Amino acid sequence: MGFLNLQNSHREEKLNVIDVTVPRVVKKLRNPMRSSSKVRLDRVTRFVLWFTLALLAMLIIFPLGNILVTASRESGREVFAALFSSSVTQQIVKNTILLGVTVGLLGTSIGFLFAYAQTRLEFRGKRILHIISLVPLISPPFAFATAIIILFGRSGIITRDLLGLSPILYGFPGLVIVLTTSFFPVAYMNILGMMRSLDPSLDEAASILGASKFRVFVKVTLPMLIPGIASSFLLLFVESIADLANPLVIGGDFTVLSSRAYIAINGDYDVAAGAAYSVVLLIPGLLVFLLQRYWAQRRNIVSVTGKPSGRISPVESKSAKIALLAVPFTVSFLIVLVYITVIVGGFVKVLGVNNTLTMEHYSYVFSGIGNEAIFKTTLLALIATPLAGIFGMILAWLIVRKIRRGRQAMDFLGMLGIAVPGTVLGIGYAVTFNHTTKLGNFGIVPQLAGGGAIFGGALAIIMVYTIRSSPAGQRSGIAALQQIDPAIDEAASSLGASGVVTFRKITLPLIRGALLTGLMFAFARSMTTLSPIIFITTPDTPIMTSRILSEVDGGRFGNAFAFSSILIVLVLIALGVINLFVKGRPTLSLTTPID
Amino acid sequence: MTKLRITTMASMAVMILSLSGLVISPADAAVDRSGKVCVQEGMVVSSGGVTNTCAKTDKGLFYTPSRKLSGSLTVVCGATEAWCGAMTKAFTNKTGVNTKFVRLSSGETVARLDAAKNNPEFDVWHGGPADGFGVARIGNLIEKYLSPTRNMIPAKYQDTDGYWTGVYVGALGFCSNTKELKRLGVAVPRSWADLLNPKLKRQISTAHPSTSGTAFTTLWTQVTRLGSEEAGIAYMKKLHNNILQYTKSGVGPVQIVGRGEAAIGIVFSHDCVAGAEQGLPLKVSFPSEGTGYEIGGVALVKGAKNPEAAKAYIDFALSAEAQNLGPTVAAYQVLTNPRTKLDRRMVALKKLAIVNYDFEKAAASKKALTARFDSEVAVAPKV
Repeated sequence: MGFLNLQNSHREEKLNVIDVTVPRVVKKLRNPMRSSSKVRLDRVTRFVLWFTLALLAMLIIFPLGNILVTASRESGREVFAALFSSSVTQQIVKNTILLGVTVGLLGTSIGFLFAYAQTRLEFRGKRILHIISLVPLISPPFAFATAIIILFGRSGIITRDLLGLSPILYGFPGLVIVLTTSFFPVAYMNILGMMRSLDPSLDEAASILGASKFRVFVKVTLPMLIPGIASSFLLLFVESIADLANPLVIGGDFTVLSSRAYIAINGDYDVAAGAAYSVVLLIPGLLVFLLQRYWAQRRNIVSVTGKPSGRISPVESKSAKIALLAVPFTVSFLIVLVYITVIVGGFVKVLGVNNTLTMEHYSYVFSGIGNEAIFKTTLLALIATPLAGIFGMILAWLIVRKIRRGRQAMDFLGMLGIAVPGTVLGIGYAVTFNHTTKLGNFGIVPQLAGGGAIFGGALAIIMVYTIRSSPAGQRSGIAALQQIDPAIDEAASSLGASGVVTFRKITLPLIRGALLTGLMFAFARSMTTLSPIIFITTPDTPIMTSRILSEVDGGRFGNAFAFSSILIVLVLIALGVINLFVKGRPTLSLTTPID
Repeated sequence: MTKLRITTMASMAVMILSLSGLVISPADAAVDRSGKVCVQEGMVVSSGGVTNTCAKTDKGLFYTPSRKLSGSLTVVCGATEAWCGAMTKAFTNKTGVNTKFVRLSSGETVARLDAAKNNPEFDVWHGGPADGFGVARIGNLIEKYLSPTRNMIPAKYQDTDGYWTGVYVGALGFCSNTKELKRLGVAVPRSWADLLNPKLKRQISTAHPSTSGTAFTTLWTQVTRLGSEEAGIAYMKKLHNNILQYTKSGVGPVQIVGRGEAAIGIVFSHDCVAGAEQGLPLKVSFPSEGTGYEIGGVALVKGAKNPEAAKAYIDFALSAEAQNLGPTVAAYQVLTNPRTKLDRRMVALKKLAIVNYDFEKAAASKKALTARFDSEVAVAPKV
């Protein structure tokens, strides 16, 4: 499975492939050498630029604007006021930040340990450890949290039946375990790529000068990794606070902003308040982008761009090895247990209570109710995948190569698709596209969402999939483009090729790997997206994740597990196929689903 | 004339048979003018695109010729996936109207109805709770429709103004894991007071009254039975010490209790029965001090694209025949049509102590009361 091998074939890639910090991109662009490549935009490129902007406006700006309008209604304003006056609301904000910081720290640490093990240790099972660590990137909603309760809950298979314990996981501890395990791969991939491209000669030099291994690590290696660690932390922070499915299952009394927004809409019938909570949730997301920019502009220690030279001397001490490997192996074991639970759960009556083998869940899922959902979800995700991949590449190309002013803003707009909590996006789409809109004198936006829309509302779902998964391609595209010498573009231009021809004939073939990454993530993410879908699914577009939600709601976990297993298999098959069709090595970027 | 006489005789036979609890075979059934079978009053039959509802008159059973139906119908459905599927499929088979559904929680339904107010995507809202319909009515999202079948449904199970009509009723009960109770040395609870047993510390699972109609019913039942909001909140505060976690969905506790994460859940009894059918070690009991109940109803969406078919669907949903589909898909709510078959897995409402539940007052108090619950109960440390 090529998707899972991503990183191992990555040794020769340059540092910037995994560069995720937006601002650093910007910094590179400020380099006078690079900016000389900015040629006057030809007509076709200008058309592409305007078309892209129009798409961005349609896909994200317009729906978000509507959310802001909704949130400024009376009950929304009450929420904003309560931020300053109500201790309950303040507690929710504190909980959210506490959760984000904890998951950010833990996830980054675990990701770091995995990356360290891959690059600096020699041990058996290295490759399998790598593959296991990427598995949580395909996690259907609810599967992780539900499996954890079945395994480690008060009457869990492992905790009570094997160990005689009955811990109470609901609330903060459970959330941290689940979110950390499902999100750490982002940090892992980030840091791994960075560590691989570090120049070992620096370590060697320090060792020769008499520094101990530990001292080398603290004084030489770590400072160079800080930008990667920081961006991992910030990403995990955003992802964990925007997550909805897990707080719903295992959150206990620990209310966070995303679950509060859900309560507002589902319990209080108050969309305005829900929108307001979501807007509050957006603030940390915005801060993250600003912080990243600030951080990377001040600190840019890593400037290695050539091939690493020299050899890394692996850690030899046995006790150190055991200490360093303990966490990665425990976490991997946990991941394997969770996925086994999901798969086995689909084949037994009630896992842990009545372990009789049965096919009833699968026959339910494959009956009329599930069949259509499986087919349509896959179809829509398959349509959205190339759209998201290409849109991401075009955005990256425009940002890196074509536009001078406002490229940060454009990059930011492109990334909003993952920074915005899914619920917000969903409501934004429902409010915006459920009816025809007249846009001043410029034209008309037809109804795209809802049962009454063309194609039974399928367009809106494809749009959501696209805007939520294009950031992956955008990021890896930006990273890849920066490695390609603009002189190649210039050569093409001076031979008379237009911007678009250059892109198609020169640039695109060179960034195939980035495109491949974008496509793979786009598919995995589309298939597992839930929270925006709830608000735009129609009878003609039954979606698997929303079926999973129905089954979980009704307590039929066997059916939910069966659906989840099918979803995992479908994603794996599609990733294999994408890998076959698009030749080139996938490069990595930062993304996993934010829901 | 002959046919009419046959109809009358047959309908009498039907009534006698149904009273004696026997299954009616089509041979005993009434036959209408077009030769179609009308087994029960409240049943909907269709021939040649014309739908008829069997209604009751002093003469017995007969058909009300209905409108000719065409086009398609979209139902937003709050019941289980299986129930929604069975209902819409049966309606399609009967009328030829292509009927589809989306399953959404009531909050999501209101949000979507509101977002598409000017161009509704749904025609009917089926299986929504009374408070959801209340909000939808205030928001001008549903429309009055007085179904002919409505007269058969007890008045307390429908909106007096005809904005919605009840299709099922669920009674609040205790759902106990017998194994866990044994382990803890606690008897199956028979009263609200039993739940305060200190041995049950963090052993009770219930939903949050903000997100779950079930949990709000629990809260309002305390207010009603104890006489004031103050006393109701005070009880919930005491109960709080024994709560494991407040789940988001009302059905959630069934699984939590079923797998032994907690010993007792406060849920609608039919959800507990469905859980027991899955093989979970669950037992239903009811509080002696009186319990609350919910009504699931059906309503016409304002500005529905296909109002004729939507109204026919509502007639259908209220019919005994349609409601009888419930138990076939593991939905054991009490059905509102008195002519429906009684399933032994349904609770006998008449045998229960039921509080005098005032839905309008409950809905009016909901926001303030749940906010109070949030700030006074849910955040309190457990001692």
